[in-house]
Amino acid sequence: MNLSGAILVLIALLAVTIGVGAFLRWQQNRPRHLNPTEVVDPLRLGAESLGENATLLQFSTEMCSRCPGVHRTLAAIADDHLGVAHLDIDLTHRPDIAKHFHVLQTPTTLILDRDGMIQTRFGGTPSRNAVELELARVTSEDARV
Amino acid sequence: MSDVTPPPRGIDPRGPRFAASITAVLLLVTTFLALIGASTARAVATFGWFAYQPLSGTDFAFVGGSWLLPALPVAQRAADPGFLLLLVIALLFLWSVLSPRTAPWGVLYRRVVQPRLAPPTELEDPRPPRFAQGVGLFVTTIGLILHLAGVPWALPIAAALAFVAAFLNAVFGLCLGCQLYLLLQRTGIIGRAATA
Repeated sequence: MNLSGAILVLIALLAVTIGVGAFLRWQQNRPRHLNPTEVVDPLRLGAESLGENATLLQFSTEMCSRCPGVHRTLAAIADDHLGVAHLDIDLTHRPDIAKHFHVLQTPTTLILDRDGMIQTRFGGTPSRNAVELELARVTSEDARV
Repeated sequence: MSDVTPPPRGIDPRGPRFAASITAVLLLVTTFLALIGASTARAVATFGWFAYQPLSGTDFAFVGGSWLLPALPVAQRAADPGFLLLLVIALLFLWSVLSPRTAPWGVLYRRVVQPRLAPPTELEDPRPPRFAQGVGLFVTTIGLILHLAGVPWALPIAAALAFVAAFLNAVFGLCLGCQLYLLLQRTGIIGRAATA
């Protein structure tokens, strides 16, 4: 390949990579609203109970470098909101749970309402703002029903 | 990987990202060298001899559209600058997998960069970056082997894939290993099912 061809390929490679990165980052702060069809059983996840008003259910693995950061964010949110619990489930040795919740990437965060219904899904590392907005929506929708 | 041992001592999370930046730059240079090197060169027939035309574009007529690389002896394939640089990067990946504490970019970070920054607000598990270095080692090694075996384009494609991963980590803080891990686990390549 000649010099100008190689430079064009490099520019294309950079552009595609930046595009992919920007898209993935944008997507991580985008909550996906789910049709509440499933009630999560806390005992199955090895937890005592769910939060009174809502639960932030996080899935992690040992090899996930962004999971500890998301853990801190979600734990802080749970601390600041009354009746909101944070559960962090390590999927490293639990492919069965990963399969059940269709988790293909970690961290994945689900927001459950007061009944343990899955309302929202975040893939990746959402910002604190995005999670709090979504949490407010889930808890207020609950209040209206 | 065994999970009986307690989590190892935490590391400054900015270290692996610093290393990823250097790796990304090196991989971009490697991709460039591989693109202009023997990996993508066309074989040009001149009086029955294969002439090495690394910079030849469409100016030269090539016979049968064949690639140059398979016609080269293995020693000449290995002497390609792109190959040599990717080999160095693969060895650095290997070093980081075997001994993350002594790997050059990590040492450079701790000696030169870290003292100039505020102390880390949080420490992180060193296992994920190590896993990521392993993925980098895997991808680059496949590229090197295919190149030695005479497969055209293997070198720039492997370097470009590794570049994408390193760049996304360095610039966007995204970790492809996090996405990959569960996929690998699902397919049963790594991880174990619960015994409980």
